[in-house]
Amino acid sequence: MKMLSLAATLAALATPLAAGEATLDLVAPIADYKLYVSENTEQLVADTSAFVAAVKAGEIDKAKALFAPTRLSYEKIEPVAELFADLDAPIDARADDYEKAEADPAFTGFHRLEYALWVEGKTDHVTAVADKLEADVTELAKRIDSLTFPPAVVVGGASVLMDEVAATKISGEEDRYSRTDLWDFQGNFDGAKKIVDLFGPMVEDRDFVASVEGNFGKVYDTLGKYREGDGFASYEKLTDEDRKRLSALVNTLAEDLSTLRARLGLS
Amino acid sequence: MSHSPSRRAVLGGLGLGLAACPFSLGRARAETAPQASALTAAPQAGTTSAADRIAPFGRFQAGIVTPRPAWGLVAAFDVIVDTPADLERLFRRLTERIAFLTSGGKVPELDPALPPADSGILGPELRPDALTVTLALGASLFEAHPWLSALRPVQLTRMTGFPNDALNPDLCHGDIAIQICANTQETIIHALRDLIKNLPDQLVLRWKQEGNVPVIPPQPAGVVESARNFLGFRDGSANPDSADGALLDRVLWVHDAAEPTWAKDGSYMAVRLIRNFVERWDRTPLAEQERIFGRTRITGAPLDKRHGTEADVPDYAADAEGTATPLDSHIRLANPRDAEGIKHLMLRRPFNYSNGVTKSGQLDQGLLFIAWQASLTDGFIAAQTRLNGEPLEEYIKPVGGGYFFALPGFGPGPDDYLGRQLIDAIGHAPQKT
Repeated sequence: MKMLSLAATLAALATPLAAGEATLDLVAPIADYKLYVSENTEQLVADTSAFVAAVKAGEIDKAKALFAPTRLSYEKIEPVAELFADLDAPIDARADDYEKAEADPAFTGFHRLEYALWVEGKTDHVTAVADKLEADVTELAKRIDSLTFPPAVVVGGASVLMDEVAATKISGEEDRYSRTDLWDFQGNFDGAKKIVDLFGPMVEDRDFVASVEGNFGKVYDTLGKYREGDGFASYEKLTDEDRKRLSALVNTLAEDLSTLRARLGLS
Repeated sequence: MSHSPSRRAVLGGLGLGLAACPFSLGRARAETAPQASALTAAPQAGTTSAADRIAPFGRFQAGIVTPRPAWGLVAAFDVIVDTPADLERLFRRLTERIAFLTSGGKVPELDPALPPADSGILGPELRPDALTVTLALGASLFEAHPWLSALRPVQLTRMTGFPNDALNPDLCHGDIAIQICANTQETIIHALRDLIKNLPDQLVLRWKQEGNVPVIPPQPAGVVESARNFLGFRDGSANPDSADGALLDRVLWVHDAAEPTWAKDGSYMAVRLIRNFVERWDRTPLAEQERIFGRTRITGAPLDKRHGTEADVPDYAADAEGTATPLDSHIRLANPRDAEGIKHLMLRRPFNYSNGVTKSGQLDQGLLFIAWQASLTDGFIAAQTRLNGEPLEEYIKPVGGGYFFALPGFGPGPDDYLGRQLIDAIGHAPQKT
């Protein structure tokens, strides 16, 4: 994988990157991105509805099969999760976020249901959690149309998400009960890459864009080795070697994308 | 730490002219004859400065016979390397960062819309602060690549557990180990964060342990004492005499004909994370503690010369029954002070670590043990094998570490870099398939 040479980067970065380009027209890509979020949110609502129905019906196997694909569209819009942080927590928080972990009554959302399905092996006690999840994603979908998408948040979201993957996902702790982490990886990389696809054309330094795109390509090559049917193999199948490579790629993307806002004249 | 004639004698004796080692000797002071333990003497307050500069260049890497400063860490990484060109790129980039960090200077100022160029914890202008960064390679790196396997230093293996070990795989091994030492904790942390930020595409952190040694009040001229470990005893008294360049040459630097040519002037590094059960130790009678180590706690004097100093050499021939110094005491097992003991010398350059609290509510403290030697089997492995079963084991538990090989040194020229000897050798090596 390639990282831009430090000396060249520093020389290029010592002066404002987007001087005189404050009028960069970000309106179109922001609109496109909002559409992307909107489409994925609609998908999320539909998928969650089916998932929740299976959970409430006690159809454990069906609910397990729907868990990872349902999450995919949520993971795709995670770059801008800070725009709906009050919903992100109840939808997607993990047991570690609560003092009493799995036993904490505040622990809700996808991962609470994941725990019920894979560890507890029953769902009759989490009906309320399932209802709450459906209500939360429905509320999220309702909000998207009227939600303002500040360009700095959208553009910055790509590196923020890579930071999060590097910090708390590459270890395989997100979907620890179901081991469906690789589905989430796919969603996260798709979501971050969408931002690069939309805003990359406005970045002057084409070597930078080529390097970032090259690293996304390597991520997909590695993930591709673990495709099974419509989805992915268990996280446990991921070899140490590939985990190391993904870790290096994610950190490299996080470093490179951390300059994206400045490259677009955003601060 | 004493920036003293002893340090100059050491480096001079090793062929490192002062021209290549422009430290600021701002506080040269009268010294008596250097003591055997000078390299690992306890740092003395007021004798170090952020301006202390240890040049990274020379026949050997810095950070091995460099007098040990107050702080040190070892970070083990796996590396992303597929081709010899990747490995060369890794070495060159590390060299570039090491050259910058150890000389200091202004941190580049970037457009404020960008993330800053460094962590900022040392301010806008880096001062060298006696920083050394030492690079060593693990066996896994050589084993991973057919183009590298024939060039593995012959004694470099994956560390295997000794009987008292309880190795945690998350704290062991690595494709490379980087030792970072400096006067202050913030300088070693700054350097580590710099490397991680600048080489994310090739370095994947496995584990890291930092530690320090106690800084003691200024001593009268000429007085040096070995730093104390977390068991309260002085550690390093029996290290090879740092003024004896020929001895250090023999003990430290690879010169064996059986080793690959490129490895000459490198050194084997044994790292061990050794937890100390300090609560239990503190409940042990002093006399028993002293018998376990074989030294007095206050001065470090050997038990057969209780009123002497730590520099005194115990006379085991006169104490064949172990009446004064028990036969199974730590220092007697580790170094029997006979012909065998001389053969098994190594340079220990450890730091104390303090990490937090265990699940049992005990302090997680111990020793970041780092030993350097020309022969791993004659040095650390032989010494540890003799120590197996020692009474001290009741109070210590090795939980991590690894064996690594420190590359030979490099020069300041634009074409030289850390690891060049190995990269050059790859072109000529037969490839195993």
